[in-house]
Amino acid sequence: MTVLDQTHSRRRFLQLTGAVGATAALGGVLQACNVIGGGGAATTGTFNWMTWSDHYIQSQLDKIAKDTNINTAISELAGNAEGYAKLKEVKGQLDKISGDAMWVPNAYAKDGLIEPFDINELKVSSQLYSFAREFPYWQSSEGYMAYPFGWSPIMIYYDPAKVTGDPNDWQVLLDPKYKGRVVVENQPEEIVAYMARAAGFDKPYDLTDDQLTTVKGYLEKLKPNVLKFAQQATDSVAAMISGEAWLITGNLGNEDRVKDGGGPEIKGYVPKEGTVGWHDGEMIVKEGVNKALIKPFLEQSQQAELIAENFLANGRPLFNEKAYQILTDQGKKDQADRYLYAKAPDVLPTMVLKGPGTSTDKSIQLFNEVFGTS
Amino acid sequence: MTAEVVGGVDVAPPTVASRGRTARLRELAPFLPAGLLLGVLFFVPLAVMFIFSLWTTNANLDIVPTWNLDNYAQFFQTGAYVRTLAKTVAMGAAVTTICLLFSLAVAYFLARYISRRWARVALLVIIVPFWSSYLLRVYSWQAILGEKGALNQVLLSLGLISEPSRLFVYNDIGTFIVLTYVYLPFAILVLYASLERFDYTQLTAAQDLGASPSRAFRYILLPQIRPGLITAAIFVFIPILGEFLTPSMVGGASGLLIANLIQTFFKNALVPQGAALGLLIVAFVTVLLIIFRKYLRVEDVYARG
Repeated sequence: MTVLDQTHSRRRFLQLTGAVGATAALGGVLQACNVIGGGGAATTGTFNWMTWSDHYIQSQLDKIAKDTNINTAISELAGNAEGYAKLKEVKGQLDKISGDAMWVPNAYAKDGLIEPFDINELKVSSQLYSFAREFPYWQSSEGYMAYPFGWSPIMIYYDPAKVTGDPNDWQVLLDPKYKGRVVVENQPEEIVAYMARAAGFDKPYDLTDDQLTTVKGYLEKLKPNVLKFAQQATDSVAAMISGEAWLITGNLGNEDRVKDGGGPEIKGYVPKEGTVGWHDGEMIVKEGVNKALIKPFLEQSQQAELIAENFLANGRPLFNEKAYQILTDQGKKDQADRYLYAKAPDVLPTMVLKGPGTSTDKSIQLFNEVFGTS
Repeated sequence: MTAEVVGGVDVAPPTVASRGRTARLRELAPFLPAGLLLGVLFFVPLAVMFIFSLWTTNANLDIVPTWNLDNYAQFFQTGAYVRTLAKTVAMGAAVTTICLLFSLAVAYFLARYISRRWARVALLVIIVPFWSSYLLRVYSWQAILGEKGALNQVLLSLGLISEPSRLFVYNDIGTFIVLTYVYLPFAILVLYASLERFDYTQLTAAQDLGASPSRAFRYILLPQIRPGLITAAIFVFIPILGEFLTPSMVGGASGLLIANLIQTFFKNALVPQGAALGLLIVAFVTVLLIIFRKYLRVEDVYARG
């Protein structure tokens, strides 16, 4: 008898589907019990982390998992607004999230989404520059809002073989000579902020309606020059390596990334009108089911040796002072100094720190309005 | 009561009305799981989206439950949004047209001139790309169409261009090419199913009676595969209205479609605005389906059995 010859009654069908359904439901209940159970003081398991791709090196995570039984389930973070929106949706499904400067207090902490902690409780925090443990806007009565990680001003990089006249400002991005040769990150609020800086506005995240109108003019000039929006920083670097892009925006260190990738010698500068910048950190999600794993994980993942390796892989300054010493001992001091590793106290005050402002919603709408079909 | 003949098929007379309510409910019971699934997975999210679309977002990106139609009004008052929707519809129409033309030719060839065995091999080849991920396929097209891509290399080596062309990628042409590639197999599979069942002796008979080949094609073949054509058009056109990956990867900054704008809203916490735009697309698709349904006579499908 073949399968096709078998008689399938409705009763048999219901029995089968009922059994499958009951098994699935039981599995779900057991999983839920496991998850709830894991919300206590468990020190092994898997936690969910939404972060940028340069915040971890997979081999390091693998080693931590092997040594401590703490595993990571990572979802990629494209921008601050996206992370903030996502966390508000999923809350306890994430345990740790990365965020920039003013997004930490003005969005995540304000909404009670994260759990401040005593940073000095973590032994590894003694490796940080002392100022990084004392950002006034990250302090609250309940503790420190995030574990400091890295920082950078947003710079403009260009291929001197293609871009003439040694530019030093934002205006170069608007030059019609460079039509279709600019790649910027796919972060609408940041692109609007860049153009606000180009227009000379000091508070690019708190624009008035009149200022937004001015910025719209800048965005309209920028639009034909933008080849594409990079989903990650690596996309911008790849576009520069392939020669598709002549101008990109990005963090410190892109010269080496492009060169290491076989691309041309490029130059970078901080625009004279001033720039925006970021310093980011790792936050513990208040409702995170596995949040008990975060501090033990930070103790491992923020060790100077690992941070030094991260610097060499991703090339932008970090807040771990001991890692700077390691880099110096490894003969990498020149590179670290070139990337302003030890200069944060001097440079951070000169940047407008990324953060949600009074015009963030209007900035995103303006971006859509300009980059929609004209 | 006798059976009625519709389109050559015996159709049982309606007897449901004469049965009791219990019997009727019993008949509908098998549809309950599907109805529940549809309700939970489609209508409930749609209702949630509708509610969100009537709310607003404040400067802190918090959703504020104040009921109004501002998000819909904003869409119609913002020329860029309307133009982007129009461009999306035009892109969908262009890709659908080219897909139907290509797929009709391919499916006709496979159904009429190739043995069924080899036609199945050919169909397998056509669907092989589906075994890899959509993202990977679009990335491959970046490599093919890019400035240093395979297409430019071929054109350069043939001496057809003197320097790499930027015509094929990061613009609407790139989006058009890749969308056509992505959706063509759907159209071929649907049309092949229609053409495989067509009785080709009818074309011979029409020509015996004096019709030219093109006239026989238009008046004999096309009307009979109309459901297949409409289904293929639906399969291609409607998903394109929601396409954001291809335009974002090969369309560049100037090739964004309406779904890219919706994605930007959702990604950046402006959920009510995104929901309103999304629902406008749903409304547009619904109207289109109603129009298509008018022309999609189901008895055509049953008649072919």
